[in-house]
Amino acid sequence: MNHKIGRFSRRNSAPSTGLFLWAFALMFLLAALSLLPHVLLGQGLDPAALLKPATNTWPTYNGDYSGRRFSTLNQITASNVNELTLDWVLETRSQSIKSTPLEVNGILYFTAPDNVWAADARTGRVIWHYERTSVGDHIGHRGVGMYGDWLYFTTPDAQLVCLNAKDGSVRWITQLADSKLGYFSTMAPLVVRDHVIAGVSGDVTDIPGYLESLDPATGKLQWRWYTEPKPGEPGSNTWPQTSDAIRHGGGMTWMTGTYDPELNLLYWGIGNPNPVLAGAPRPGDNLFTCSIVALNPDTGKLAWYFQPSPHDVHDWDAVETPVLFDATFDGKPRRLLAQASRNGYFFVLDRTNGEHLVTAPFIQTTWASGVDSRGRPMENPQDDPRPDGALVAPASDGATNWMAPSFDPETGLFYVDARRTFSVFFLTAAGKAEGWAGTDRGLWADSALRAIDYKTGKIVWDHELGNGEDGAGILTTAGGVLFTADNSGNMLALDPATGKTLWHVNLGGGMASSPETFEIDGRQVLLVSARNLVFAFSLPHSQIPGK
Amino acid sequence: MSQMDFCKGKTSKHWIMGAGICIFVSALVGTTLTGYTGRAQANQSASSSAAVERGGQQFASSCGFCHGADATGGRGPDLVRSKLVADDVGGNLIGSVIRNGRPAKGMPAFTMSEQQISDIAAFLHARFLAGVNSRTMGGGDYPLSKLLTGNAAEGKAFFDKAGCAGCHSVTGDLAHVAKKYEPVMLEMRMLYPRGAETPTVTVTLPSGEQVKGELEHLDEFSVALRDSAGWYRSFPRNEVKVEVHDPLAAHQALLSKLTQDDVHNLFAYLETLQ
Repeated sequence: MNHKIGRFSRRNSAPSTGLFLWAFALMFLLAALSLLPHVLLGQGLDPAALLKPATNTWPTYNGDYSGRRFSTLNQITASNVNELTLDWVLETRSQSIKSTPLEVNGILYFTAPDNVWAADARTGRVIWHYERTSVGDHIGHRGVGMYGDWLYFTTPDAQLVCLNAKDGSVRWITQLADSKLGYFSTMAPLVVRDHVIAGVSGDVTDIPGYLESLDPATGKLQWRWYTEPKPGEPGSNTWPQTSDAIRHGGGMTWMTGTYDPELNLLYWGIGNPNPVLAGAPRPGDNLFTCSIVALNPDTGKLAWYFQPSPHDVHDWDAVETPVLFDATFDGKPRRLLAQASRNGYFFVLDRTNGEHLVTAPFIQTTWASGVDSRGRPMENPQDDPRPDGALVAPASDGATNWMAPSFDPETGLFYVDARRTFSVFFLTAAGKAEGWAGTDRGLWADSALRAIDYKTGKIVWDHELGNGEDGAGILTTAGGVLFTADNSGNMLALDPATGKTLWHVNLGGGMASSPETFEIDGRQVLLVSARNLVFAFSLPHSQIPGK
Repeated sequence: MSQMDFCKGKTSKHWIMGAGICIFVSALVGTTLTGYTGRAQANQSASSSAAVERGGQQFASSCGFCHGADATGGRGPDLVRSKLVADDVGGNLIGSVIRNGRPAKGMPAFTMSEQQISDIAAFLHARFLAGVNSRTMGGGDYPLSKLLTGNAAEGKAFFDKAGCAGCHSVTGDLAHVAKKYEPVMLEMRMLYPRGAETPTVTVTLPSGEQVKGELEHLDEFSVALRDSAGWYRSFPRNEVKVEVHDPLAAHQALLSKLTQDDVHNLFAYLETLQ
């Protein structure tokens, strides 16, 4: 479509210069590759490689520890993105793919509930398929973690399965939680050195949430951090002292967190409290539910926390990716953490200590009367769920959700899939509130991709995605192209500076995952999925230097 | 969790039966509500609603003093989210605890029949399912009295002031509207009657020719309509001018302006239109 000159048109100023630059880049790349330590045996993944992921791999859920989902690859640019060509399609004949595939040494590893596939990244050919039928909630699955030659896969019955990446055979299976109590797990484990960090889900049976660290070799528990403090511990005074609400307070660890190797801190988003829509049985802020927490990955000890939704009663968990980047704030270089939270607010913190810097709404919400001195939105009590129904924006599905956000260091913008939704929240529990204690019924929804200035929280541009709740994540690249999808099955390539459409293709279904990119055989591959289809795109060989 | 909405959960004292109906419906449509945990399935066949009711009475009189009549705990532990109860099938684990007691923890032994124990087990498993099914909400059986909290006169004043009469008439399209819809549905449709009206579109071609019809699809790249002859037609957005008329636009615009009082007053007014 419209491919007017983007920011990166300088790269294509003259063909001869372009070719020269490509040749130079390739030589540089080859030289850099030869310097990489050849510690890997076979096709595995050295955990140390996660610290500085190369451009030829996507070795963890977010591509790297920062959660930025920004790739330094720049073969695909604003000027040539409209020439992208389909390399292959893979159909899994499963439920919708919501996972981000890992790509390690030319092999993709991706999931749906109960299923893991390894596929050839060059051809889309399935190498092996692991299937394990289980009971439990099959709501979706985000992907696997990898350590050496081993993969880690969470299941609907809350088990952690360790597979040999070579052939998909099972090494061991260990229990994360008891599914009979209502636990399940959907997240992609995060590997940090010799820790496999795994979380649990389940918000209808008033069970406590936690995060675990397991030994990559044996699955033995290293530590478990409960998202509610024990009675008497710091934060426990944010729960009623005369009931056992704190022991049934929820706070699930649904999603994959991020990690700062220099500070040696894990950052994790924590789910909503239970009972979900009933606040009366649990007066107080209900720490550490709906919080962003910083934990030591070696001990599981809490370093600091920030709570986007104190005393939540709308299912607005704070599990959306805590994105890490270093940038100036008020003229000073800072180590920042940003989250576009499900409650409709964008937050920026100093990730060394949790100091609050920015709070700003990224959709028009109805529920908050303002922001308090600690940067937390203050809930209007009239918007609490009630027996006669409370009209509230956003709906329980939230202003955003699992779909990955992205931060582009070249534009300084944070991108989020923003949903404008209205819903009526009914508190239906008669007697003691349990589980959800009610429901919300959606009225209307539409979606937009929004670019946020991290310094102010202001929306810089807005790209409409259509009616309904969009489910697509976001990828930004040094080529000056942002990839996402709209509500009509169109994958979109946008100019990250302006939001203008550079190119699109209809994939025949909704995207409920996030695009990713990596280099293979000198080609930058764009990998996306829609429904149960995985697509690989790259530029035609004629467009690639040396091909 | 759309499958949840399908279920007719009860919020009155008949909640247990509501849970049962919900499971039954889920089984029929092949959803995984009971598969939420393996446990629910294992215990489902063993527990009739009569057993659950008997078990509830037995529990309240024998166990409620320590565990709470609803089994969520008191002096004694919460049994709804208990590991032992979770692993129990038809009373096979609960039974020995009841018969032997837990002297070390101050729980005495009870003499009970097999039937009494399996009834109590049925009750405890049903209590767990109540949490699992707590997101279900009645449609027709959700009591009007819970929704009818507003002031009808103020609702009428809002109706007149907000310009609702621009599209609606209480003697025309809204006559007897309270009889037409169950209360929850009426409240929802009052706010946003999703699907009640199809937007129309006028597409102006480069030649100046205009094509009108019901909007079939609209995205950034294409527009599609069904014309008056019933034919589907689509056009590329970048070559035509598109004007959409959405009859529900006023409803959508109101959503961000309504207070909770407006909502309930207006609902009370519509409920007078019997």
